[in-house]
Amino acid sequence: MNKNLDAIFLYPLTWVDDEARMFADTAREWANKEIISDRLNYQKNYQKLFIEKRRILSVDIGFQRLVLPEDNGGFGWNTPSSAPGIMNVFSEIGRADAATGYVTALKYAIFATIAMEHNMNKKLCDILAPQYLADEIKTLSLILPGAGRAGEETPLFKGRAIRARIEEKEDAFILDGEALRPMGCGADADLFCIACADSDNRPCLAFVPAETKGVIKGDPIRQTGLDACKNADITLKKVKIPKENCIKRDGAIMELYAWLNLLLGGVSIGAAMNFHEILDEWAQSRVIKGAEPMKENPLCAFVLAEVADDIATARLINFSLSHIMAQPDKWGKVGGKGIYTFAQMIGARVQRLSLNALNRGMELMGSAGYAKEWHVEKHWRDIKTIQSHLAGLASNAPVMMDVSNFFYNSPEVQK
Amino acid sequence: MKNFDEFSRPMEYTSPMDSHLRSAIRNWAQKEVMPFRRNFDEDWMDHKLIEPAFDKLMGNKGLGLQKALFPSEVGGWGLGQSDYLFRSSLIIAEEIGRADTGMAVASMCAFWPLITITVSPYLNMDLCRQIAPMFVNADNAVFAANAMTEPQGGSDVENMELIKGKTLKTTARLEGEEWVINGHKLWPTNSGGVSSLFGVPCTTNPGSDDPDAFAFIFVPVKTPGVTEGNPYEKAGMAADKNSDIWFDQVRVPKSYRAHGPGKDKDAFYQLISMGQAASCGFLTGAMMNMYERLYTFVSTRTYNNRPLKENDAIAGIIGRIAGDIDICRILAHEAAMIGDRRNMPYGDPIISLKTVGRIRNIKDFVSDRAIDILGQAMDVLGSYGADREWDIEKHWRDIKIIQLWMGGKQLCQMEAARWFFNCETL
Repeated sequence: MNKNLDAIFLYPLTWVDDEARMFADTAREWANKEIISDRLNYQKNYQKLFIEKRRILSVDIGFQRLVLPEDNGGFGWNTPSSAPGIMNVFSEIGRADAATGYVTALKYAIFATIAMEHNMNKKLCDILAPQYLADEIKTLSLILPGAGRAGEETPLFKGRAIRARIEEKEDAFILDGEALRPMGCGADADLFCIACADSDNRPCLAFVPAETKGVIKGDPIRQTGLDACKNADITLKKVKIPKENCIKRDGAIMELYAWLNLLLGGVSIGAAMNFHEILDEWAQSRVIKGAEPMKENPLCAFVLAEVADDIATARLINFSLSHIMAQPDKWGKVGGKGIYTFAQMIGARVQRLSLNALNRGMELMGSAGYAKEWHVEKHWRDIKTIQSHLAGLASNAPVMMDVSNFFYNSPEVQK
Repeated sequence: MKNFDEFSRPMEYTSPMDSHLRSAIRNWAQKEVMPFRRNFDEDWMDHKLIEPAFDKLMGNKGLGLQKALFPSEVGGWGLGQSDYLFRSSLIIAEEIGRADTGMAVASMCAFWPLITITVSPYLNMDLCRQIAPMFVNADNAVFAANAMTEPQGGSDVENMELIKGKTLKTTARLEGEEWVINGHKLWPTNSGGVSSLFGVPCTTNPGSDDPDAFAFIFVPVKTPGVTEGNPYEKAGMAADKNSDIWFDQVRVPKSYRAHGPGKDKDAFYQLISMGQAASCGFLTGAMMNMYERLYTFVSTRTYNNRPLKENDAIAGIIGRIAGDIDICRILAHEAAMIGDRRNMPYGDPIISLKTVGRIRNIKDFVSDRAIDILGQAMDVLGSYGADREWDIEKHWRDIKIIQLWMGGKQLCQMEAARWFFNCETL
């Protein structure tokens, strides 16, 4: 965030160390120089510039290697203690462009399942990092448990359908699944991370290179926001992957959810903070009733206050989540039930607050809030898209069942 | 419930034209809009898909809706003089809105400026005779636009009760038998090359809040001195084009003023309630279509290997969504009925503080509920919620502007407060 934003949207400074602050500064410089100062051009040539600007961030600056251990050429942020710092960085990215934040978050979360110190899968890291986190920009996609189809009986992950199956065949695993819906980037992905169920209906994660025989990408899906993250349904027909490409570790899927909620919360908060900057300028320069600046009108001031309140609250609670995740010795590991529950609960709240800030603030901007020229509507569409993808299914009802089960020990609600 | 038609509406309010209008527009929507609407966003500039559908709705080659307001003496349907004006408009708004709210807005805004001269007691037959032929004799769609918003004024022009037109910068000067108009307008629906006729609120005495200074003047778009910008690119509502309009020494006949000093302001003020009541119809139409799509999703997708709708928690969410649609539809009909009571002994003029406040209040409420439940419906679809193929996200994007326009939520709140609390200084 720029100095002014950090000064007004307070956060616990001591949770972000100097190194993390330096990364955030770098992300901010990238955001200001590459995107925010050139917004009209960026908007006009979005598809082309998205790749270019993302490459600068991910490859040239090297942010895609944040999560990798130093042995693998990374920055060594592969412990949960990096959570507050990395969340802050994602807010800086989201302030510029939520879609860039989104694809980067997917990549970080996926690699976190194999690269974190406590769950390090050295073999898989050594295989995947040089291919997908090297000098060329590569896109990762994630398929999580979600909506099942009526008439299908599938293995479940806390009530959500796991529609991909994996079967052990001699020296390999074989995957099958029909019309699976990724969280994003299905059309452009170079590597899929797929939640699947083995023959014992046990959830696991499979890493599937997109060019593998039997991986079929559907038509690109047009969606509300995150325009550059081209999605497509994926069908797997007897897709063969090496055994090491599957991890069956308990808690891996819960860990993914935890990181996604934290990082995408950061992205949406960043977008909302940029909206605050735009709205601030609007409310200062707009004269209403023929006389007074908009911000001096009590009714408008009330709405402005709600916008600021939502963003400030979202930022604080997301930092709290990052702080909890950063201390596994006190609160349990990231893939544990407690962190998983808190991440989902806070993640859903952060998305609601961020979207509400946009919804309310747009009321003051009238048609300008709706026109592409002002960049507000893009943030609004992007945050809504993130919210729906994170909800996954049924407007957070499954999340609420997770929460209820955690606090009130009611496992039957998930059956 | 068998289908979306069973969402509540007070049957006592039903107009005799209800079933005919509904079925004609629904058939049109099914054939001309539903198969193509998912591609409308990419058609925002050219209207290659959208224009043929408009022709079959508005022009004589189709339903001829653009004739509706004009008196039968000049070839119209006489809706402007009917006691069912608001209710019929609501039906039209709802049925088109169910398919595409952008098309609903654009087609109904073609009527909007014409209300100032076609609705009793502000009927101006002389002007109707001059203007009607361009609409009633056309095979294809002919549009009009209400060019009211100005760069510096935002919603001031809709805030007539307080501002009384004193911030208007667009001027009209009478020179002999002609009005000379100068000014700059923003955002009118059906600008950007769509319209043949503009209705232009302007002032004959800049800075004055004297009602006599407010003038509403019709300007054919091809008049020398009229320039339109390119359409704005927006979050949604691709069928509704909006742009800048400049008037530079534009000359039109003196008779193109809607009525004259004092009366123009009142005739124009009718537009507020009519616009807000129609907005309710756009919203309930979109909500009902969302219900149709949501019904399919929650019946065919599962949680815990059972259809979503059979889970108690999810049923609680979708039950509330449907319940809100039901209530909003009743309210939308009540908003229309408030307008149609204008000529009844127990009714109030459309331009009364009471009517304006109550209808704005209903529109504000229905907008809020629509935005909320469309967003929730997207979340029920989860990973599919942002997917264009499920149609709900398009309605979600489209309807946000309905909340924002005509002074937005805050002006609705002010008008409601003025009526319900007798506020005198707001």
